[in-house]
Amino acid sequence: MYNRIIYYDILKSKAITLTTMIFVAASAMLVSLAAILVINLSGALDTLMKQAKTPHFMQMHSGEIDFARLTSFAQQNNNVDDFQVIEFLNMDGARIIFGDRSLANSVQDNGFSIQSEKFDYLLDLDGNIINVSDGQLYVPISYMRDNTTKVGDEAVISGKKFTVVGFLRDSQMNSSLSASKRFLISENDYAQISNLGSTEYLIEFRLKELSALGAFETAYVSAGLEANGPTVTYGLFKTMNALSDGMMIAVILLVSALVVAIAFMCIRFTLLAKIEDDYREIGVMKAIGLRVSDIKKMYLAKYAAIAAGGSIFGFALSILFKGMLLENIRLYMGESENSSFALLFGILGILLVFLAIIAYVSGVLRRFQKISVVEAIRFGTAQEKNVGAKRFWLSRNKLLHTNIFLGIKDVLTRKSLYATMLTVLVISTFIIIVPQNLYNTISSKNFIQYMGIGNYDMRVDIQQTDHISRKAVEIISTMNSDSTISKITLLTTKTFKVKTEDGSKENIKVELGDHSIFPIEYSEGRIPSAENEIALSTLNAEELNKKVGDVVTLVIKGKEKNLTISGIYSDITNGGKTAKAVFSDNSADIMGSIICVELPDKTLIDEKVLEYTDRFDFAKVSGIDEFVTQTFGSTISSVGKASNAAIAVALIIMVLVTLLFMNMLIAKDRYAIAVVKALGFTNADVRVQYVSRSLFVLIVGIVFGTLLANTLGEILAGAVISKFGTSTFKFAVNPFSAYLFSPLMMMCSVLIATMIGTASAGQIKISENIKE
Amino acid sequence: MKKIIIADDIVKTFGEGDEQCNVLDRISVEITESEFVAVMGPSGSGKSTLMFALSGMDGVNSGKVVFDGKDLSAIGDNELSDLRRTEMGFVFQQPTMLKNLNILDNIILPSMRGNSKNATKISEKARAFMKRVGIAELEERDITQVSGGQLQRAGICRALMNSPKILFGDEPTGSLNSKSAQDIMDIFSEISADGTAVMLVTHDAMVAARTERILFMRDGRIVSELKLPKFDGTHMDDRIGKITVKMLEIGI
Repeated sequence: MYNRIIYYDILKSKAITLTTMIFVAASAMLVSLAAILVINLSGALDTLMKQAKTPHFMQMHSGEIDFARLTSFAQQNNNVDDFQVIEFLNMDGARIIFGDRSLANSVQDNGFSIQSEKFDYLLDLDGNIINVSDGQLYVPISYMRDNTTKVGDEAVISGKKFTVVGFLRDSQMNSSLSASKRFLISENDYAQISNLGSTEYLIEFRLKELSALGAFETAYVSAGLEANGPTVTYGLFKTMNALSDGMMIAVILLVSALVVAIAFMCIRFTLLAKIEDDYREIGVMKAIGLRVSDIKKMYLAKYAAIAAGGSIFGFALSILFKGMLLENIRLYMGESENSSFALLFGILGILLVFLAIIAYVSGVLRRFQKISVVEAIRFGTAQEKNVGAKRFWLSRNKLLHTNIFLGIKDVLTRKSLYATMLTVLVISTFIIIVPQNLYNTISSKNFIQYMGIGNYDMRVDIQQTDHISRKAVEIISTMNSDSTISKITLLTTKTFKVKTEDGSKENIKVELGDHSIFPIEYSEGRIPSAENEIALSTLNAEELNKKVGDVVTLVIKGKEKNLTISGIYSDITNGGKTAKAVFSDNSADIMGSIICVELPDKTLIDEKVLEYTDRFDFAKVSGIDEFVTQTFGSTISSVGKASNAAIAVALIIMVLVTLLFMNMLIAKDRYAIAVVKALGFTNADVRVQYVSRSLFVLIVGIVFGTLLANTLGEILAGAVISKFGTSTFKFAVNPFSAYLFSPLMMMCSVLIATMIGTASAGQIKISENIKE
Repeated sequence: MKKIIIADDIVKTFGEGDEQCNVLDRISVEITESEFVAVMGPSGSGKSTLMFALSGMDGVNSGKVVFDGKDLSAIGDNELSDLRRTEMGFVFQQPTMLKNLNILDNIILPSMRGNSKNATKISEKARAFMKRVGIAELEERDITQVSGGQLQRAGICRALMNSPKILFGDEPTGSLNSKSAQDIMDIFSEISADGTAVMLVTHDAMVAARTERILFMRDGRIVSELKLPKFDGTHMDDRIGKITVKMLEIGI
């Protein structure tokens, strides 16, 4: 019996059934995709890190190194499973040339290594440990992605010729967020060029138990071993590798939650309309003694069929699209061992959507219990109460055209009817604006201030070289006589020891210099301005359990120095753990310096970058936009893609829902339309009345959606972003796109959908609908 | 007297093929200025369809309807709408009111199209009509808060707002009790006396007896016609008697 009911019902309302199914399919697809991506990402990441045997603890170091002391430390520490020191030959980008193109503009620290013996292997694209022969060069995968070079190309490194024979995956430095990139060459070739760059050491440990990492880190710092460079641990490698795709998954999850909500709205609307249509029949069924649960089953059966159809279709779509979204994960990390599980989780996700729909439909159908048999049989409809807008009278309206008045009045009178459409429009606006604002925020210049980078135009990095301070002074003195430069500041990063709460000591990187010239955003407090002040990054403040006003103790040359925390700021660079202070210090080695420069004439940036690159080949000069693009480029482009997809999805949702809604409204209002037509209103008048309704609802929707996007959306986006080391988050809104272009786009879509949806109003015959 | 409506040999069919039937079967009729006409006939005889055809609400399959010199089949939808709004008034059996407007707003609705600036003037005119038909105090009421008779009076006010040349009534007293029906008929008589043509579709002899000309329909044709003197409030039984005799004569 159910089959017949479903068949006839679907046949009668093909368009509505199809639309509902499309929404169910879309939500099923998104949930399934998110599940597949999460499983694949974590699987591929685990596989990559397992195959490459990523170090659990890695200390970069430039300068003198005492191998014997490190070896004895490794032997004596019970937690250490394996230990090695790898050389990393840092070379200026200008000396790395592919065809006619050099890496001079690259903001990455490009360097050369040989294949490791024990762990931290560099892998080929099939996940195998690479064996490299003389004259061969393996290039980091990111240079394949940006088409810098391809297999078979000739590469010239400091005058020595190599052939690019393949690309490599580096479990440490794959991510664009990692500042360094390793090229792989043979031992012989390495020996030949080793004096052409500066050598940095990667002191790497594998531990017996990863859980012992905390204790090991403390032991390493306490032993006072080599530490002139950043420290990176297993967890941070993992986070950096997962960041770009993780953000994409977060956006998909957000959108899928919203599409599920819209699917629910659609189901609610069609179901309520259907109940209204069948009001008398339901009354009769109740009157002849059918139980409410039996009647419910008839309706539930149809939605179970729609949900099942939509879910299967959604699953098929997710299998179709997963390749596209997995492309990045596959390229950077390779195949996941869990890919078979991934499908299973995709199915589980879809099952969840299916069950949620059934539960929801069942919930909506609860209103059967409230239907009065007598009322249903006598009137055939629920006795609607018109509420609201009592003071909004046509007789007092001089402002609005009568058709527009009638449209708005109808919306105000039948609020609950329009609530569904309003909700969908609010959600769609939210879907359009939040990813757009997020994209705009992370790609805006102001956002880099959250990221620990001041608002300057050009930066000169002096790292992995000797006599850093002398070289910095040399550059600055040149800049001082450069009239195109208006502001300069020198920031020098040094590593000190900081006392933690339990009395142990840890390394802390402190950027010294005048931070007031290019200030960054402080989530709490202010910049350090006095000698005894320090500002901490959010992650450092959390780790040291400190807040503004507290005192931290640095150990400098064995002497303790107390500094008051003046502020806390967001930072995503250097693993998010940094500090800023102004005191002068001559004790510790300089890890690196940056010179930040402001140029009043922004058109000169490219020219100046070239000029200073040519002049100071030991320094890395980059325009800030280029720096940001290269550092966060792939993250920004992932969010950009998701944002465009979200706009497309939301507009499709708007068009479909408006079409559906208008179709139903016209069917419901046939009598009222016949009346106004009998009174001499034209078809065009009727259309204007319906367009006024949808545009009025849309405008309210846009206002609420935008408000929601800028409040709840900002909090949500902030919550996602904060995982990566930022503490405060404010949307940078592009008013043109958010408040003009997007609303216009939405209006056009809704307008077109309304025109199509109300076309049938012209066919309504007065005589057929007004006869008693 | 000027002819307002001239219907010439009009045919209206419903259905297709074997099931096709002529609901209006070659009807020709003329209605003149300030004439008070009733159309009588059994259910399904085509009374309402005739009214819809004469008012341009529904097209005809052949023949033509000329309203005030304009051939309705030759003008577009928009012009037809304009004609209905400015030169015709309609009163239906069930009060065709919009649920979300109050009584006054429903009455002024047709006059307000593209005319919002004159809201005050239009409302004043509506209030005058409401006073005339005895519903002056109801202007702010919702349509669910008044009786059927009161709603029908409001419907008449709405029909009169644009000073139409003709007022069509489709069973205007069909859903009212006899007292209310009498009151409504009094109003129609007044309107007719003021110079507006009135055409009522009814199967109630009491209603038809108030008019001056009665067209009898059966199976889509006008089978007979009866003329009565202007109603002066007397001889009602006599008028009803004549109608009944005529109905018996033609067997409806």
